[in-house]
Amino acid sequence: MTILPDWLTDNNDCRELKAMLRNRSPESLETMAARSRAMTLRRFGRTMPLYAPLYLSNYCSSGCAYCGFASDRTTPRRKLDEEEIRREIAAMKQLGIQDILLLTGERTAAVGFEYLKRAVDIAAESMQRVTVEAFPMSVEEYRELAGSGCTGITIYQETYDLLQYEALHRWGPKKDYLYRLATPERALEGGIKTIGLGVLFGLSDPVTDALMLYRHARHLEKTYWRGGISISFPRLRPQTGGYEPTYPVDDHLLARIILAFRIAMPDVELVLSTREKPSFRDGMAGLAITRMSIASRTTVGGYLEGESSGEGQFEISDSRTAEEFCQALRSRRIEPVFKNWEPAYNGPSRNTLPCS
Amino acid sequence: MKKRPKEIVQKPLKMITIQLNGESESLPEDSTIIDLLTRIGSDGKTVATLVNDQVVRPPERTAHALCEGDRVEILVFAGGG
Amino acid sequence: MDHLQLAAHTFSSRLILGTGKFSSAAVMLEAVKASGAQLVTVALRRFNREQLEDDLFGPLSELPGITLMPNTSGASTAAEAIKAANISRELSGSPFIKVEIHPNPQHLMPDPIETMEAARVLASEGFLVMPYISPDPVLAKRLEEVGCASVMPLGSAIGSGQGLASAAMLSIIIRESSIPVIVDAGLRAPSEAARAMEMGCSAVLVNSAIAASDNPAEMAAAFRDSTDAGRRAFKAGLMRESREAVATSPLTSFLGEQS
Repeated sequence: MTILPDWLTDNNDCRELKAMLRNRSPESLETMAARSRAMTLRRFGRTMPLYAPLYLSNYCSSGCAYCGFASDRTTPRRKLDEEEIRREIAAMKQLGIQDILLLTGERTAAVGFEYLKRAVDIAAESMQRVTVEAFPMSVEEYRELAGSGCTGITIYQETYDLLQYEALHRWGPKKDYLYRLATPERALEGGIKTIGLGVLFGLSDPVTDALMLYRHARHLEKTYWRGGISISFPRLRPQTGGYEPTYPVDDHLLARIILAFRIAMPDVELVLSTREKPSFRDGMAGLAITRMSIASRTTVGGYLEGESSGEGQFEISDSRTAEEFCQALRSRRIEPVFKNWEPAYNGPSRNTLPCS
Repeated sequence: MKKRPKEIVQKPLKMITIQLNGESESLPEDSTIIDLLTRIGSDGKTVATLVNDQVVRPPERTAHALCEGDRVEILVFAGGG
Repeated sequence: MDHLQLAAHTFSSRLILGTGKFSSAAVMLEAVKASGAQLVTVALRRFNREQLEDDLFGPLSELPGITLMPNTSGASTAAEAIKAANISRELSGSPFIKVEIHPNPQHLMPDPIETMEAARVLASEGFLVMPYISPDPVLAKRLEEVGCASVMPLGSAIGSGQGLASAAMLSIIIRESSIPVIVDAGLRAPSEAARAMEMGCSAVLVNSAIAASDNPAEMAAAFRDSTDAGRRAFKAGLMRESREAVATSPLTSFLGEQS
């Protein structure tokens, strides 16, 4: 029987957040937007750090019902070899990208820790910042990854709803809810500097998931207090495979959730990817979002000219080029920033003892 | 024959000097901490006693004899934030 | 029940009293009774045969429900504080120790480095360490890391009566702390104790404001009531301050009509 930790189920902190999420009036949304905008401007200014994802492989051992790369899908599997990784990274650099997110599926024989570490080594040679969104690892593996130059780990719990989680993660290592939940702590323990959290909105009741996501972030803030936290807001999009979200989240609700997080967590980085359409991205950029992906490909590789794109993990809604997107930001008086980190500061963080 | 009364010879009282709370104090030789406490008007229940920076606990006070030059601190809980 | 939890010890009162600066021990004892305080802090001082009434241990022990929290005031180094702590524990039997190290006798601001060292050692020796500090959020987390039972950031300098001058910093400490945060020093009025509790403090420590009052027992009672009121308000949930900026044109029009 899976017992959820107290910090996840404890009802105490969230009064204001709950109120903001439950009030569905358009007036309140406009008020939240004004407040969020003021807070974001004060704390983060008018810059927008940009990054791009590189899918290293679409091999996967898990059977997530909602994912185009689940191991029972007929998607052709591919993984980038070292030479291909270098070429993709060079192509990304041509677009101006200096901050890269490396992605893989769950651990497989084809793509495991050694492969991932090698990819981080390669990326760190030329990228100013390297972060990873891959399978949950051990403290020691995170320590090695940090030593190779990885400064951030993104790991979404997908949904904090235990029953729904168990139903959706049909087989494979991802079935273990608690192991995944404790991943951010293992990463921070291993010296990774920042953690990216998130839920895949649509899998379960979005308000409940948002509250539990908030509790997760607060728990990490208090225990691994030297670590950086960022929160992403992936919303279930149509994908090849056709999983229909049980709890569809419309634009208004997603905007409300993002604004509520900015108000409730004034110092936390909020991230929006190219899953969302241009008008939504542009609108939220000025209001709450402080980090965005640009010119993304969600196929394996995909940045080389003339590359035939296979099926991506999800459909991209914002397919603007890097230049077009930067123009859009500038027209809203936001400065796109490609380098926001100095790798000379890399090296595992000293997180020492967690406070219990 | 009348016996000569025994002469009661009083040995001269040998005194020692100790430092008590930073000031010189004269005491009979072989005084114990308990003796000192009685002398200064304390029943010992609410004080801590240190001799040469070492705490001397209540059970040990009766046996602990003081020597010349000992630095004795007698401490109490007093007002303070 | 909403009790103050310090390690394994539970207290129903969230007002802690200091015992300095009173005109007499008798006045101090009346103030303690009127305050409802269950934790009282005392300092180690030399026995004074001319002033036997300075010795508070006896009288305080006779008050029901009081736990002593000795403090290390007078120490200016970790070594001195550690020594004072050990003597205090020996004498009182209480596991609580307020680590208070202020080398400068004018402003009495606490030394963070000596305090860290003393806290680290004393916590490892089983003391329930209550460190008195400047309201530094990072220092507070580091003290939590070494095993302190609480942190005690100052509201303002001891005896300055400047109230919650450090409110912005206190706010961060309260938000980030997993152990009780007890505001100590500088509170001048009961309303300030209420405000500290409304902000989410677990308790307040008051000394000068009560001792210097014309009627310490009455002032102590006032602090008792205001500490309670502030805590009740915090638990009930304060109405959010309204701080909306008014935009010139709608910021959310990009979302279109709500379906």
